[in-house]
Amino acid sequence: MVQSHSPTSAVATAVASILTCDLPGLPDERRESTVEFIRHRFSTLPHHMRLGVSLLDRTMNVVARSYGSERFARLSRTRLPVIAEYFRLVRSLGYAFVWETWPDTASDGTPK
Amino acid sequence: MSRLFEPSTTALYRGDLNCDVLIIGSGAGGAPTAAILAEAGFDVLVLEEGDWVEQGSVRPFSLEQMERQYRSGGVTVALGLPSIAYTEGRCAGGGTEVNSGLYRRPPAEVVERWASRWNIRDLDPDRLLDIATEVEEAIHVTPLPGPASRPSEIMRQGAAALGWRHDESPRWMKYPDGNPRHGERQSMTRTYLPRAVAAGARIVTGARVEHIDIDGSTGRCAWVSSAGVRGVKINFQYVFVCGGAIQTPALLQRSGLRRNIGNSLAVHPTVKLAARFDDEVNVPDDVPVHQVKEFAPDLSFGGSASHAGLVALSLLDEWDSFKSAIEEWRNMAVYYAAITSEGHGRVTSVRGLRDPIVTYRLTHRDRELLRSGLSRLALLILEGGATHVYPSFRKAPIVRGRSDLATLQSRFSALAASIMSVHLCSTVPMGENADLCGADSHGRVHGTTNVFVNDASLLPDAPGVNPQACVMAIALRNARHFVDNNGGQR
Repeated sequence: MVQSHSPTSAVATAVASILTCDLPGLPDERRESTVEFIRHRFSTLPHHMRLGVSLLDRTMNVVARSYGSERFARLSRTRLPVIAEYFRLVRSLGYAFVWETWPDTASDGTPK
Repeated sequence: MSRLFEPSTTALYRGDLNCDVLIIGSGAGGAPTAAILAEAGFDVLVLEEGDWVEQGSVRPFSLEQMERQYRSGGVTVALGLPSIAYTEGRCAGGGTEVNSGLYRRPPAEVVERWASRWNIRDLDPDRLLDIATEVEEAIHVTPLPGPASRPSEIMRQGAAALGWRHDESPRWMKYPDGNPRHGERQSMTRTYLPRAVAAGARIVTGARVEHIDIDGSTGRCAWVSSAGVRGVKINFQYVFVCGGAIQTPALLQRSGLRRNIGNSLAVHPTVKLAARFDDEVNVPDDVPVHQVKEFAPDLSFGGSASHAGLVALSLLDEWDSFKSAIEEWRNMAVYYAAITSEGHGRVTSVRGLRDPIVTYRLTHRDRELLRSGLSRLALLILEGGATHVYPSFRKAPIVRGRSDLATLQSRFSALAASIMSVHLCSTVPMGENADLCGADSHGRVHGTTNVFVNDASLLPDAPGVNPQACVMAIALRNARHFVDNNGGQR
């Protein structure tokens, strides 16, 4: 299931869903911190990238809400250009943040 | 550590500013330029878009450093097939504050080629090496005072086993207690910027130049925004644009200068891998000093910073297969293969967009070089003792021995790889060849009387080595030429 992460869930559904699918053991508070970090980095992207990512993010939020978690997880493995880059950006920022902040994290996100 | 001096933004609120020489950017090009011109008696004002960040106040190669000292948090991309991630320093001292600190002299054959093909007057390799020697003293280029780190030794051992040419790259570091782990980077905030200030230069941080007013062929003033205040006017006699290979052409284009500006971006594209060993090898906040040059200048191998977050990034492209390795990050290190690319990119400033659009196109030869480079790098690291190698591209195999290298080669696609670069140059190439060059032999933008460029943008193409020494030596050369021709000791 796609989990809800108040107060950020309304605008970060897709990002939170990707993290939930990829790192199911990541505790809620860590996931929320990671979502916040990713959202902040989105806001500091170069202007044209920010426009593109913002558009994709809104689209993916709608998709994440309407798809089930399994379908969204499959979509997040897409190789379609542009869409794949969005998922890659989320994962790059998210994984870097998780393992830099909590190096002793298992591959499913569980604290060790 | 206390500040050497206080950079200021308050000066910009006192109305129009005047100076003899405005220098935009404070990195490897801007800082030496500021020092030479201030010491020659010019009234110098340096504007830096980023903040002044004291060394030691932020962990090297961390996300916090990305946030505070890199443009856009380090998330910048040259669009293309594939896109190439790149980074730009955005702080006082520019890239010299955040890069690896590895030093390579300007290769004589490269300098000769530049002088010949781009028709650069008075660019003599011997003279440039003399200036490089001066740079080496100023920024204290030195080998490690003791043993190299394990990831570095692994490269050395692998190269020795294969009989490949390799060496230790010296760094611009001081080691106060003689411990090779306790180096203090001799970046621009420790060297040339204090020299400039001691000679009377003013430095203002947090100030972005929006555009330069150019009247006919003469630059008149710069329009600056700072801390939410726009429209600050700075009058100058001369302006040196030293914002680096992306921001310099972008500013010149915003100012109406476009001929041979921004259309010849050159980079050193790199591919990487993570390698796992039987014992703990990870050094979270430093990079290896050994580099393998057997296939240089086409191909070079080196090591990257390897804290757990960066190891995770290296495993990302094939996460489903590789993810268990992240739990062994202490036994892992990240390495790269860099190529000298034949491709070129563009920097294009678009009205209404604050940041330029950057594109890059790899050639077929570049893609094949990346493929063979990654395979050779995997072999090198296996010979260094790796038990598992995880190449950074989608559908990559785990390489456990030589027999897996053919699979790596056959599956590799540049389109599926994480390609990045930290060496950007050549967007305003210097020389008298009117078909190729945006600036003359000493950095004056063609068609202008007083607008100069003095940074990595001037390098005619990618030098095949870490470019900072080339940038600094050419910046000093050009600054001295300017002083000789425009009256120092005023």
